[in-house]
Amino acid sequence: MELIFWWVLPAALVMAGAAVWWGLRQYKAGNARRRPVAHGDRLTALPEYQAAVRRYRRWLLVMAVAAGLLVTACTVAAARPAERSNVRPEQHNRDIVLCLDASGSMSSADSAVVETFGRLAQEFDGERIGLTIFDSTAVQVFPLTDDYEYVAEQLKEARRAFDGESEAAGFLDGTWGGEGSSLIGDGLASCVRSFPKTDGEPGAVQHQSSQQRSRSIILATDNYLSGNPIFTLDEAGALALESGVRIYALNPGDYDFGGDPGQPGAQLRSVAEKTNGGYYVLDDPDAVAGIIHSVQATEASRFQGSPRAVVADQAEVPLAIALLSGLVLAGASWRLKP
Amino acid sequence: MTTSLVQRVKSKMSIFAHRKARGMLDGEYGSVFKGRSLDFEDLRAYVPGDEVRDIDWKATARHGSPLIRRYVAVRRQTLLLVTDTGRNMAATAADGEDKKDIAVMALGVLGYLALRHRDVVGLVAGDSTGSRSLPAKGGEAHLERLLREVDAHAGLSAPPSELRVQLEHVARNYRQRMLLFVVADEFLPDAGLEALLRRLRAQHEILWLTIRDANLGQAGEPYDVADSRVLMSHLAGSEAVSRAYGVAVAERTAARAGMFRRLGIAEVAAGSSHEVVPAIFSLLERHRHGR
Repeated sequence: MELIFWWVLPAALVMAGAAVWWGLRQYKAGNARRRPVAHGDRLTALPEYQAAVRRYRRWLLVMAVAAGLLVTACTVAAARPAERSNVRPEQHNRDIVLCLDASGSMSSADSAVVETFGRLAQEFDGERIGLTIFDSTAVQVFPLTDDYEYVAEQLKEARRAFDGESEAAGFLDGTWGGEGSSLIGDGLASCVRSFPKTDGEPGAVQHQSSQQRSRSIILATDNYLSGNPIFTLDEAGALALESGVRIYALNPGDYDFGGDPGQPGAQLRSVAEKTNGGYYVLDDPDAVAGIIHSVQATEASRFQGSPRAVVADQAEVPLAIALLSGLVLAGASWRLKP
Repeated sequence: MTTSLVQRVKSKMSIFAHRKARGMLDGEYGSVFKGRSLDFEDLRAYVPGDEVRDIDWKATARHGSPLIRRYVAVRRQTLLLVTDTGRNMAATAADGEDKKDIAVMALGVLGYLALRHRDVVGLVAGDSTGSRSLPAKGGEAHLERLLREVDAHAGLSAPPSELRVQLEHVARNYRQRMLLFVVADEFLPDAGLEALLRRLRAQHEILWLTIRDANLGQAGEPYDVADSRVLMSHLAGSEAVSRAYGVAVAERTAARAGMFRRLGIAEVAAGSSHEVVPAIFSLLERHRHGR
């Protein structure tokens, strides 16, 4: 808390002193204008008069206090009390695609991811979120959107499907039409392509906001491939790197043993880390929420604006006091009007 | 040079003469003292206000109109003007004039009447710190001096008023019988003052003129000369206060009137200098009928 126009205070103090001095002088000189009378005790000795004077004095005191407060509060407000702080404004310009492996082994992790994002979506403001599920083929459930109501509805539906509720089973339709299952490279590539094209790429639409938006994929998979994908995981990772997409991989079934880089978990880790993303081993679906929060925080801190000094006037309290004392003053002077 | 105070008194009296014969005032004054002398001098025409018992009925019967016996070697009487020249007298009277001006007018009127009767006029004036007395003499110049004495000393810087000091001074220092003319204001009488006045009343003839004080119920924020405190007259405008004030003032007036009645002292009140001459007329009238 500091005062921007601190010199207002001494100036006001000097002026208040001058006003008091002048008022006292006027009061002392006042008897020259007044009528001298004798036997004032004819009036002053009356108990009724004394009661009236006491009442008058009381109101006068109220008025004096209110006036003093009003002047003080106004002076303080005029001196502009302000809070100076450094702020790194958080930018809500993230694009997140949920890329979920819909194979049966993944359903509990998928369910946790979907549920967490269902909750997160309620607090989103400007972020866009998309959902792509894949098994042997990838299905884009919904593209990047900021229609959070629709997102929440779809995520709820997805969750029911992953939880195995029969009437929601249609949700996963179209994910196993191709050859093989868990074609992770293809799924990831689909997800990467669901981001709008950047300026460097052919066919990119000049879009003002897409340039500065952060892109991330939450990829939930165990990376157990069966079949022949068109894109290998590494190729899909290269595609992501090219498009400036960070991959955060969640692996519920990392059964890697030893340091062999060819194992599924190690492959996933290397792809994710190449894109500056992260790799998380999921031992328990309940940990998804915490992981996603930390991912969110990382993303948020990466895309914060430069720190700015913000000076915020905090005149509310003095002005509120001034308003109150002004009201009291008005009431008291109305009460005292001769 | 300001106009002489006596001149002012005389002009006020001449205005009064247009309405009532000035001789009446003389007659009223002349009959303040009973049995002035038995040495008959001559007769003169009756003027209203003369004592009826002075009429020479035989001569009147012969003459056809009332005639009054005049006596030679009328003993010179002494009129002693007693007034307060404390701070109270610099205050405002009921009609807005300075009380001092009304006092000077009243003292001047009676003093002038006395001079016309070839009586001598003295003065005792002062405040709570003490009294000054000026010896009784005749002549307008002397009367002027007395009036100036009063006029000069009664100011806002004067000490507080205390009429008792002047009355005690009179009681202590004057042995002969005199006519006392006391000009005071709306003081609150007490037993001590009443006893003192009873003592004076036994020795002297006393005439009393009360100068009515300013009404404190009016707006205008007056201040009390006693302590320079501002009176909040606007508060007196409220119903409760103004009712209480009316009652208190009536009680105060009644207390004074009661005291004067018990003592047999004739008293009148005047609120402005215009009221002074009629007030003195009725004062003399009342004094004559008072016993």
